[in-house]
Formats: sequence, structure tokens, C-alpha cells
Amino acid sequence: MDGNMEISVDKLPIKRLESIEENGAERFPNEVGYEERRLNLIHRIDFGWAVDREDSAKKHKKDTSATTTTSKDATKPWPWKSLVENLQAAHQELSVIIDLINTVEVNDAVTVAGMTRPKQLPNELLSDLAVSTATKLQCYRHLGKYFKQSAKGLEQQIAREARFYGALIRLQQNWKVKRHRMAATPGNEGFYIDLFDNSLYDPAASFRPSTMSTVWVEHDAAGMLAINLPQKAVRSLQFGFLCRNSDTAAIQASRIKAVGSDQDPAGECKKEPESDDDCVKNKHAILREVHRAIFDEQVFDLVNREAFNPSLGVNITGIRENYLELNLSQGASVFISLMPHKHEDRVADSADNQNSESALVRSEFFNDSNAKDRTKDPRKKSVFPNRVSCEIFLQQTFHEHVFVQAKKRTTSGGKMHSGQPTIDRSNLLGHFCMSLAHRIFSNKILRELDDLVSRVPYVHLISHPTWNSRTSSWTLSVDVPQSIIYASCQTQKSDKKAKTQFRTKVLVNDCIKVEGEGAPNVVGLFKGTSERICSINRYDCDLADLPMILLQQIASQIIRWLHAEALMVGIKANRDFLCLSFELEQGETLGLVAHVNPEDPLGCISWWLVMDDGFTEEGKLQSQISDTHNRKFLGHLSLDVLYSTLLDLVSLCSGGSNH
Amino acid sequence: MNKGGAGGIGRGPTAAAALAAAQKQKTLQQRVDNDIGTLVDSFKFIVNVARVNDQPVRNSHEALMMKMRASRMVQSADSLLKLVSELKQTTTLSRFSTLNDHVEQRTEELNQLADETDGMLARIGDDAAASLTELESHYYSSAIGMNQIDNIK
Repeated sequence: MDGNMEISVDKLPIKRLESIEENGAERFPNEVGYEERRLNLIHRIDFGWAVDREDSAKKHKKDTSATTTTSKDATKPWPWKSLVENLQAAHQELSVIIDLINTVEVNDAVTVAGMTRPKQLPNELLSDLAVSTATKLQCYRHLGKYFKQSAKGLEQQIAREARFYGALIRLQQNWKVKRHRMAATPGNEGFYIDLFDNSLYDPAASFRPSTMSTVWVEHDAAGMLAINLPQKAVRSLQFGFLCRNSDTAAIQASRIKAVGSDQDPAGECKKEPESDDDCVKNKHAILREVHRAIFDEQVFDLVNREAFNPSLGVNITGIRENYLELNLSQGASVFISLMPHKHEDRVADSADNQNSESALVRSEFFNDSNAKDRTKDPRKKSVFPNRVSCEIFLQQTFHEHVFVQAKKRTTSGGKMHSGQPTIDRSNLLGHFCMSLAHRIFSNKILRELDDLVSRVPYVHLISHPTWNSRTSSWTLSVDVPQSIIYASCQTQKSDKKAKTQFRTKVLVNDCIKVEGEGAPNVVGLFKGTSERICSINRYDCDLADLPMILLQQIASQIIRWLHAEALMVGIKANRDFLCLSFELEQGETLGLVAHVNPEDPLGCISWWLVMDDGFTEEGKLQSQISDTHNRKFLGHLSLDVLYSTLLDLVSLCSGGSNH
Repeated sequence: MNKGGAGGIGRGPTAAAALAAAQKQKTLQQRVDNDIGTLVDSFKFIVNVARVNDQPVRNSHEALMMKMRASRMVQSADSLLKLVSELKQTTTLSRFSTLNDHVEQRTEELNQLADETDGMLARIGDDAAASLTELESHYYSSAIGMNQIDNIK
């Protein structure tokens, strides 16, 4: 616009009379149609200012282009110049159109009915299609990645669950698997393993479920089944001897049980990745250890209960937490305790450690003292039975007579295992203590027998296992050598055959019983004559008198044998308790006397040759070594030498009689 | 799941358990059907919208629907996996017949093993007793026993 404003006024929208004819007819202008009216309005818009501006701009450009022809020649044309000019022209045209539309809409005379997009060119159509296809392809690729990722995650989850449930099903073959729905959390389905034995439920026994009876099953990082046990929860039964006897001052140390040096009770599959089979086996082993620990706790509980019931053979001498000390009748004491399973737990638990250390001596000390005893006297052995065997015996006793019986009662159909005699179920601890006392006592007896037999060469010790925990039996056997038997067969005149084997049986039950055959009744000597003979002599004795009684029994059997041999060759001989006498001429008697001495280190049975001139009192034993002319010490003779001596005496008697 | 009583009609708690089992079976089958149906329908839709349309708006709409269907497919798969876990848990806790058979078999094997062990122990004891007797006789008649006596002397 040039600044001159032009105003145009529209005609009023009334019918104007265009002309009147002479005849009076009025002529009105024709009705203007909608389209014509619109065109008229458009034509009224003056685009002159825009056109002028454009012309002036072009002129300016031409002027500038004329003045800068030299510079343009020097510089290169901008490559996007034409694009900018086209966009500017398009922008101008759009501005004009927008102004037109606004104007006609403001005037409310013309409304825009619609706009149509210009028809696209084929290349534009193809490019749009290509873009859409690429977009869709990209979308499908994203979907593919998403599916792969999801599939991978689901596969991992399936593998984890397969491992977990596979292991759980395998554990279920041997253990009770239960589920606690309330404890189910993400990643933990609430499974647990119940180790409590319901068949042992007995109102009288009233076993309380152990804290370890419930073992929770969890997932580890790899999805495998894991078992976590609380520290210091697993304990084992420990048994040991305490001896206050100075003779056998050996205190047996208890060994620290370990689950396994390379095994972790926590149950985690650590270190190297294990296979599923190894992991399941590891879990089985852990559960077995826990099961055994529960059994040990129950046994200790039973031992505690029975210890406070007055019963035979049980004397409590000490009690602390998880520790019980009992006194046996053979001067020995034992302790039973519950100890944590691992050494670290044992060190941490100071109370239990103090109990065990106060009762124990280091095993090295025990080994040293035992070795010293053996070097001094090789025959001296410890009278205490093996600690581990005692522990097993304790567990086996309670298992057999409490747990197995309980299960048989519930099933009411199991067969009874024969073997041990029926034991009073209410006094199992008494039976155990008495069995231990018997074992210690029988070891002492065996030591005495072994000591005795080692010093008498012709006596043999024969053991008779009785398979009874409170009965032991041995036999002392004296066998006549074969050479003597052969020689005797050659020289004997009668058809009678002398006895060639003499046995003395030692039976230990509640006391020591000695049974001897073919010997004079030793006890009968104090009541009657020595001729009173019983086929079997039976008598009780104690440990202190046992060696003397056995030696007397053996010596009397030898004397009897010699007497029988003398009779066989036709010589009349008299037999006393431990003396075999021959009559010589002029009333003299020559006697072969046995002397027994359990303390003799060279031999327990020695022989004397005694000459009796007939003036000494009858029946009086010549125990005093005062007259060396009447007696001669022959020494510790073997059976061969004795038989030879007998024959010499026989020949002497025969020669004397011939004279 | 113990399906033996699924269709049976018993008395007392057995009937209630059978009804509960049947109901649960029906529920599980319905879940399986739903999940499988969702998977199939979603996959069909994804395949059907592979065609490129002229309208960009429609293409964008279809892209959004594809993503939604894909997530529904994954959800259905996860639901099926959970259903399988539930079935495994039920099987673990409910397979009484199999467990009882296995326990009885195992009990029989262990009783047999115990009897064999007892017999073996008895034989070992007898052999040990016989060996002890023999060794004792050899010992006392051997040079070692004699040497011991000579050492004592």
C-alpha cells in the first residue's frame, strides 16, 4: 500500500430500482448468483500492493545484481539459493491465500468448503510406501528381539525349576517333604523337610521335636535346591572314660567328629560348580547328619531321664548342660555329652568346651602313657574297652530297645531279632553301665589269665566268645605232649588209657566262677580228706584269689595225671593235694611236691623232691626250707621232664623193691 | 494331582475332596485354554497385520497393537509356566501312591540288608572265634610263646 487508503462501500442489500420504463414498469437488476457474488467479492480484493511490492523487489534485485556482477563472477553460486527462493514464493502464495480465507470468513460471505490435497506423484506414492514398509519391518524386528529376550528368560526359569523340582523329587524318595503355604515368598515356595519321626511318639517317652526337625528348602543363586542349617545346631553324642585309678591312669580322649573336612553343613554348593547329582548327594549327606544328630539328642535325653531313676548300676557323679558323668563299679567313670559338630563351633561354645576339657586329656598324652606302659611291660594292656565301640553299643542299645520296639509296636507285625536276651526297657542305661563294668572286669581277668599262662608253658588259654554283653568265658587247658602219650602206650600194661587233657573253665557273669575237672575238691580238703573227688568242681572267687586257685587247680590236675601214670606202670603211689609220694624200703617215702606261687616271675609252678623218713607227722606239710637233705628243688619243670622224673622215681622204687 | 478320585463319588471327606479336585482340574484346564487361546489369537493378529497400509495412521495403530499383542503373548507364556510350577508342586506333595510304593520297597530292601548284615556279623563272629581259637593254639605252641617265656626267665 502506498499510504493512500481507499474506501469502498458495499451497496446496501436492498433491491434497487434499476430503471423505470415509460409504461411504468420497474426493472430491477437481476439476482446475482452465489458464485457470481463470490467472484465479485474476490475481484474486489486488491492484490495490487502485493504485486507492486513484488515488482519493486525484483527491480531491487536487478539493481543489486547489476552492481555486484563483478563480485558474483568472483564467488560461486550458493547451491540452495533456488530452493530458498521457491520456498519464499510458496510462502508468499500461502500468505495470500490465508489472508483471502480470513477475509472472506470474517465477512461471513464466503466459507471454505474444503481443501483437497493435490494428487501425489507416483514417486511420492512409492516413497511413502517404502517408509511405511520400513517402519513396519522395524517394528517386527523389535518384536523379534522382544520375543527372543522373553524366550531366553522363560527358558532359564524352566531350567531353574526343572533343577529344583528334580532335586526335590529325588530328596522326597528318602525324606518327608512338606509345604508351609504361609511361608511362601517369591523365590521360595515354602517347602521344608520334616525329620521328626512320628512313629516314636509315645506319651510316656514324650519326645519333643528337635529344633533341627524342620529344615527349610530354598533356592540358591543358580536355582538349585539349597539347605541352610543354623550354626551350632548339629551336635553329636560323645562318650569317654574317666579313670581315677592310679594303675591305669589313662584318660581316653574323645575324638572330635566332623561332618567332613571339605563338607559345609550350611549346605551351599560352593566352590566349583557341582553337577546336579553331586549336589543332591551332598544334600542327602547333610540331611543324614542332621537326622543322626537328632537321634543322638534323643539318646542323650533318654540317658538323662534314666540316670535320675534309681536303678542298678547307675551312679551320677556330675551333671552340667549337655554333659553327664556316671560312675561304674570297677573304679572307672564315664561321661556322655552332646558336642557341636564342627571344631569352630566347639571352640566358640566355651561351656561345652570347658566340660570336655575338664574331663579329657589330650590324646597325645594318652598315647604316650600307653606307650610307656607297653615298653615297661608288654603284657600290660589297658582294661578299658574301645571308646568308639562303647559309643556304638550305647546307641545300638537305645536304638534296638526303644526306637525299633516303638516302630514294631506301631506296625504290630515285625519279627523279633534274636541275639541279646530281653532287657528291661526301663533300665537300659543300667544295662549299659553294667555291661561296661563287666567288660572292664573281664579285661582285668583276661590280663591276669594271660599273665599266668605266659609263665606256665604247658597251660594254654582258650577264649570262648559268648556274644553276651555281660558274660565271658575262658578255658585253661593242659595237654599232655604226644611224645608222652606215645611212650605211655608203649609201656602201659593195662588197657586203661590215662587222661591226656585237663581243662579248667573260668566263667565271669556277676562273679567269677571256676570249674575244674578231674581234680580233688579243693574246698573239700578243709572239710574231709583229699580223696574226696568230684568230677567237676565249681566254686566262686574274686579277682585277687583267682591266680592262686587256678594254679592250685592246674597243679592238682598234673599230680593226678602223674598218679594215674604211676598206677599204669604198676607202681603204687599215694596222692595228696599237691604231692605224689612213693613208698621206699624201710618206710621211707619219696614225694614229688608242687609249689604254686603266682608272684614267681620265672614260673608259677615249681617242683620239689621231698624225702620223708617216716618220722614226721602224717599230713603235715613240709613248707619250711630248713633241711636241704630232705628236699631238693627241681625247678620249673615241663611235662616231659615231669614224666621222665616220674619214670625215674618209678624205676627207683622198683629197684629198691627188688633189692 | 491325585486324579483317581476326580470323578468318583464317595462319602464324607472323600466326596468333598473329589469335588474339590474336579473343580480345581476344571479351573486349571480353563486357565490353560485361555492362555493358549491368547497365544494363538495374538500370533494370528501379528501375522495378519504384516500388510502395509497406505494410511500412516493405520500403520502406527497396527504397530501399537502388535506391541500390545506381543506383551500379551509373553504374559500368557509366563502364566502357563506358573501353571506348570503349580502342577509340579501339587505332584510333589500329592503323589502318595508312588511314594508309598517306593517307601515300602525301600523298607523291604533295607530290612533285607539288615538281615544280611546280621547274618554277616554272625558269620564274622563265628569266623573270628574260630580264628581266635586257632591263633591261640598256634601262639602257645609256637616259638614266639616259648621265646616270651625264655625272655621272662
